[in-house]
Amino acid sequence: MNRDDILTVVRKHLAGVLDGVEAASIDPARSMKDYGANSLDIVEVVSASMRELRLKVPRSELSKLTNMDGLVDLLHKVATEKSATP
Amino acid sequence: MDHRRARTLNLGDFWQGDDLDPLRAPPDFTEWRSATMAEQAIFQRPLTSASGPRTSFLLHGERREVINLASLDYLGLNGDPRLVAAARDALQHWGTGACGVPLLSGTTTLHRELERQVSASVGAPSTMLFPSGFSGGFGLMSGLLRRGDVAIADEKAHMCWLDGIRSSGARLVLYRHEDPKSLDEALTEHRTKRRLVVVDGLYSMDGDLADLPRLLDVCDAHGVGLIVDEAHSIFALGENGGGATEVHGEQRRVRLLFGTFSKSIASLGGFASGDEELLEYAKLYSHPYGFSAALPPAIVATNIEAIRIARTEPERRRRLADNAAYFRRAVCGLGLDIGLSTTHVVPILVGGERDLLYDAALAMLERGLYILPIDYPAGPEDRVRFRASISAGHSREDLDTALGIIEDCVVRPLRARGKLAT
Repeated sequence: MNRDDILTVVRKHLAGVLDGVEAASIDPARSMKDYGANSLDIVEVVSASMRELRLKVPRSELSKLTNMDGLVDLLHKVATEKSATP
Repeated sequence: MDHRRARTLNLGDFWQGDDLDPLRAPPDFTEWRSATMAEQAIFQRPLTSASGPRTSFLLHGERREVINLASLDYLGLNGDPRLVAAARDALQHWGTGACGVPLLSGTTTLHRELERQVSASVGAPSTMLFPSGFSGGFGLMSGLLRRGDVAIADEKAHMCWLDGIRSSGARLVLYRHEDPKSLDEALTEHRTKRRLVVVDGLYSMDGDLADLPRLLDVCDAHGVGLIVDEAHSIFALGENGGGATEVHGEQRRVRLLFGTFSKSIASLGGFASGDEELLEYAKLYSHPYGFSAALPPAIVATNIEAIRIARTEPERRRRLADNAAYFRRAVCGLGLDIGLSTTHVVPILVGGERDLLYDAALAMLERGLYILPIDYPAGPEDRVRFRASISAGHSREDLDTALGIIEDCVVRPLRARGKLAT
C-alpha cells in the first residue's frame, strides 16, 4: 500500500460526508475543516479510512495532526511498520 | 493492557468498532474496560436511595450516604410527597401504561392537560410531548429536515440535535460556540438552502447561557428560525421558569422552544412548544413520537403537578440561584477554574489532567461526595472537568462539606502538580 492509495481512501471518505466536493479536487495540504467538515464528520472520515485500510492509530497521535497530508503520512508510516512486522 | 496505558485511552479510541463484525465489541475495548474497572465503576453506579441533594451507594459492601452533585433535580422536587401522590392517584385511575403510541391510541385527556400546562408556562400556542428529551430533539430534526437542507448548530449543542440532523440526511454545520459572527458566516455560506439554527439555552457541560438576543438578531437578518433547547434551564431559570428564553425576554422571537421533564421536573419526557401547525406536521413525521409508546399516565400526572409547583413556588428558583452563586464563588475562591459558568451547572476544569480526574472522583466518593468526571469526547480533551449540578434542595452545609472535599481531593493534588497557584 503506497501513500497515494491511502490518500485516495481518505479523499473518498471525505467526499462522502460533504455536499458537492469531488474526491479528486481535495487538496491534502488543507485540513478537513477547510472543506466544511465538522468534528463528527472528521471522526467518521478517519475511522472509515482506518477500517478500510485495516489500520489503527491511537487517537492521541491523530489529535496532533493539522492537515490531510499529516494524516496520510501517519497512516502510511503505520502501514509500513505493519507490513514489516513478521 | 496495563493500567497506565489504559488510562491514556478514552471513548474516542474505540469509535471505529470491531474490524469485521459490528455485532462484536472491539477486543481492545474489552481490554481497556477490564484494565480500568475502578474508573468505570464511577459511571452507571447504582444508587441505593432516591436521587436528591443526598443519595447513597454501596461502598465496600456498606450503604453509604453521599452529598449528590450529580443529580439534575435542580428544583429539589424528586420525592416531593405531592408528586408521589399525583403519580399514585394516576396509577389507580389510569393503570400503569398508555398502551399505545400517541398518534393512535396512547393519548389521554391527561396528556392534553400536560400540553396545555406547558403551553401556558412558556407562553406558546401549542405543545407536543415526547417520550424522552433525547428522542424529542432527535425526532424534531429527523422529522422536519430533509436531504439538501442545512442545520446550523452551536458547536456545543446537545448530541440529540446533532444525531437527529445527521439522521435526516441534512447537512450539519457547526459554528463557534456563542459567536454570532461565526453563525452569520455559516448562514451566509448556505444562503441558498432551507436552513434552521439550533442552540442550547443553557449549555450542559459549561453552564453558560446562550446570548439569545444577539443570535436572534443574526437569525432574523437571514430570515431563519431558531430552536432553543431549554433542557437544563426550563423551570429553573427566569422569573416564571421560562428558561434562557424568558431571562432574555425573547419569547416572541424564538420559533421553537424545547424542554424536558427529566431535570427540574424530576420525572421523564420531552416537549416542544411553538406554532400549532408546525407541531401537527412534526407529529406525523417525527418517528420517535409516532413510533414510541406515549408517556405513562402516572408520569404525565407527575409532570403536571411538578409544573404547578414550579410555577407557584418561585422561591425554589431563587434558592437555586443563591446556592449556585454561593458555590461558584467558593469554587473560584479555591483558585479553581469554572470556565464559562454563570448558572447552577458548574464545571470544575482540571486542564488535561485526566488521571487526576479519575483519581479525585474516586477519592471524593470515598469521602462522601458524588460528583461526575466529564472526559473527552463529552468535552474538549485539554479541558476535562468535573460537573457540579447544584440544586435548590442543597443546604449550605451540604455545599460547604462538598467544598471541603473538593479542596482536599482536587485543589491539593493540582497544587502539588504545579497546576494551580498556591
